[in-house]
Amino acid sequence: MKYFEDIAVGEVWNLGRYEVTAEEIMAFAGKYDPQPFHTDPEAAKQSFFGGLIASGWHTNAMLMRLLADTIRRQELASVGAPGIDRCRWLAPVRPGDTLHARTTVAAARRSRSRPYGLVTCHTEVRNQDDATVCLMEGIGLYACRPEAEDAA
Amino acid sequence: MTEVTYLEDIALGEEREFGRYEVTEDEIIEFARQYDPQPFHTDPEAAKDSIYGGLIASGWHTCAMYMRMICDDRVDDGGLSAMGSPGFDDLKWLQPVRPGDVLSVRSKVISTTPSQRRPDRGTLRVRTRIVNQHGEVVAEMTNLATFRRRPAS
Repeated sequence: MKYFEDIAVGEVWNLGRYEVTAEEIMAFAGKYDPQPFHTDPEAAKQSFFGGLIASGWHTNAMLMRLLADTIRRQELASVGAPGIDRCRWLAPVRPGDTLHARTTVAAARRSRSRPYGLVTCHTEVRNQDDATVCLMEGIGLYACRPEAEDAA
Repeated sequence: MTEVTYLEDIALGEEREFGRYEVTEDEIIEFARQYDPQPFHTDPEAAKDSIYGGLIASGWHTCAMYMRMICDDRVDDGGLSAMGSPGFDDLKWLQPVRPGDVLSVRSKVISTTPSQRRPDRGTLRVRTRIVNQHGEVVAEMTNLATFRRRPAS
């Protein structure tokens, strides 16, 4: 298990890649963001985006999936997240895109009151043309190493 | 012909309360299996032993439910006025969202700023609070949205 103490400022996590499909864009948007440029390929052509694009919230959900898979793969002691300081959707995400995400650990501090650490992460999502589609600065909560393991 | 809402039509300081979203265990698990597969979002039994003491919705699911309430609240003008969103700032997930919760939205317009570079549009900033059935704020953020400006007549 990788605890708060094992996470170093400056560390870079390669979160892997996500293939975006039209079906998934429309399924997500049908439930959570039913605007024509997210749900209807024909109407989307007439829109200001010129074709179907993913909801920004869908982009963030896909990014979360990559992070959750990384947490599992690296056995990170993640216990949730208090929030996101800044998120910018910089370019449309379209069907057929392959997204790559990379997170840099920008800061880390231990909670004063609880056995957790707060890790500030700067995450960049790029597409297959290396264009940045999303930038996010957020905080993740990670459990500290239990004292018994320190002694071991 | 549907009325288009331009940036100029949105009043600074305008406050609104809207939306009603019933959160179910099935939907929490379905969302989380696809997008946030951590045990406290996907497994009611494992969630009991987590720091949350039970199943909670992914914070991104809470945001997605918020977006649905926004869409349902808006008059459908075929996407004529809204030009998408460049993002958001200062998102905080303050309280767990649990099965059975009923969410709604409280919003306040904090700025409307014409674009310097592109005179046909501008940015709206809205302070958003997502509230549960007990009146507790479960999440808050500052949302940005791009709107068309009224064409010169």
